[in-house]
Amino acid sequence: MAASSGVKVPRNFRLLEELEEGQKGVGDGTVSWGLEDDEDMTLTRWTGMIIGPARTNYENRIYSLKVECGPKYPEVPPTVRFVTKISMNGINNSNGMVDARSIPILAKWQNSYSIKVVLQELRRLLMSKENMKLPQPPEGQTYSN
Amino acid sequence: MAENSGTDPAVETNTEENAAASATIIKVTVKTPKDKEEIAIAEDSSVAQFKEEISKRFKANQDQLVLIFAGKILKDGDTLGQHGIKDGLTVHLVIKTAQKTSGGGSSQTSASSGPGPSQGNTDGSANSSPAGNLGTPQGSGPSPTPTQPPNMLAGFGDLSGLANLGMGSANFMELQQQMQRQLMSNPEMLSQIMENPLVQSMMSNPDLMRQMIVANPQMQQLMERNPEISHMLNNPELMRQTMELARNPAMMQEMMRNQDRALSNLESIPGGYNALRRMYTDIQEPMFSAAREQFGNNPFSPSRTENREPLPNPWGPPDTAATTTSGTATTTSSTTSSTTPSVSNPLGISSSSLGNGMFNSPGMQSLMQQISENPQLMQNMLSAPYMRTMMQSLAQNPDIASQVARPSFPKMLQMFAGGNASTPTPEVRFQQQLEQLSAMGFINREANLQALIATGGDINAAIERLLGSQPS
Repeated sequence: MAASSGVKVPRNFRLLEELEEGQKGVGDGTVSWGLEDDEDMTLTRWTGMIIGPARTNYENRIYSLKVECGPKYPEVPPTVRFVTKISMNGINNSNGMVDARSIPILAKWQNSYSIKVVLQELRRLLMSKENMKLPQPPEGQTYSN
Repeated sequence: MAENSGTDPAVETNTEENAAASATIIKVTVKTPKDKEEIAIAEDSSVAQFKEEISKRFKANQDQLVLIFAGKILKDGDTLGQHGIKDGLTVHLVIKTAQKTSGGGSSQTSASSGPGPSQGNTDGSANSSPAGNLGTPQGSGPSPTPTQPPNMLAGFGDLSGLANLGMGSANFMELQQQMQRQLMSNPEMLSQIMENPLVQSMMSNPDLMRQMIVANPQMQQLMERNPEISHMLNNPELMRQTMELARNPAMMQEMMRNQDRALSNLESIPGGYNALRRMYTDIQEPMFSAAREQFGNNPFSPSRTENREPLPNPWGPPDTAATTTSGTATTTSSTTSSTTPSVSNPLGISSSSLGNGMFNSPGMQSLMQQISENPQLMQNMLSAPYMRTMMQSLAQNPDIASQVARPSFPKMLQMFAGGNASTPTPEVRFQQQLEQLSAMGFINREANLQALIATGGDINAAIERLLGSQPS
């Protein structure tokens, strides 16, 4: 595979790095991520959390997500799915799947991106004009699958 | 990283973070979106103990704390070790600001960590029990506190959902503004809201409505200046009527007509007309200026006369003679038409007794004074977008618009009620009530329907109407 930016970092190495970052709380504290199962040697399934930004309809809510980093990660973007019900552009209303084509960062993925970047970008999108005022379902609801 | 952990086996299970005994103290950074603190705690503490420390440091209630580590929410019953929290790592903290959201947050979190581990997780009890946590208080951890609020909220859940519809903020003022913004952007939402049975039931809870109204600082201003309003708010009967009115536009129309009838009665008293005109002029000015800003044309132009159409006849042809009047007809017949709706209209009662009619009460007049003195206040109220929608619908219907030009009660209506909602056909809505009425022996379906419409679906009031109308 052609490396788009110098050295191509092995997948597990990358994911371990992201694991460490998730535990150290790198960032501004508004997103969090970590392995869903600590025994998962393949480092595939991750859980993420986004704290709803203030002054939006998502304020004070904590959104839980599932991120799946496939075998080709980080060359291909991970699949992201909201567990907590949310009303947002680009999120499938019935199962919480994030539509990779609607989220710019997933659509134009680069291998330098990471789970953190995805979560932060999603959070940024929560603050966009088109999303911030969307009426939200009552708190505490999750997608059934 | 993590050099300390593992060097000292923690023999003691005692988890005092200050204890220099054999418990390994680790330093965990707790980060909120606003700031961060380093907290020293024993490595084998439970999350609950950790939260205790945090609540001291952040000066927040333990119940308000939500801890997140590596994308997972830490439950009180877990230990730090379970989540792999070691020295030097960072835990995210969210401090819930309102009780509603905190309950919602924890129920949400318990649900979120549920589906995750269900995919073959070897992790301990902490993660498996939350699957059932949503509705029932589970012994997921020793603390039932996070699960209690969801239960409380189960009944209240929609309300908090409603509240979170626009907001998420506990501040009612912001809440209202955000709600208005919402409604502005989506007019259908208003009808959706109105149709939400919870909203309807909420609106029929006078205490709740009263609190909401009182919380509005504009109302508070008004109340300070005029204690009559607090009297009105304190009268649950009145509140209930008003709420029904807000819900049921047909009823509101009838109310308007009542007012008009009463007004025309007032005109017939010697000197009454002048009083009316005076009052009207007082209100005219600010209303005009306020209204002119809202729409291009002035719906309150004096060219529209008051509505002199007869009241709709809810009791069928036999009673036509009693209820329909034209113009300023006899006082008695209009009195009849004014009192018969009295069951559903306490103000109908007062307006029928012309001497001390509501319009003449000093309280109401001073209220009107207040409003006319402070056009800013009225503009504020009028500028609320949901009022705007209402105004627009009023503007489209010139009859009602002229009625609205009448001061006093319609003004109160605007203050209390949010806006009109479109309702399904009355027959559909009152299907159940109709059946009940016919089961009780009221076989005149037409009359039942009219009565139900007038009372907004209130069976008891409808029965009283029906009984009052039947020739004894």
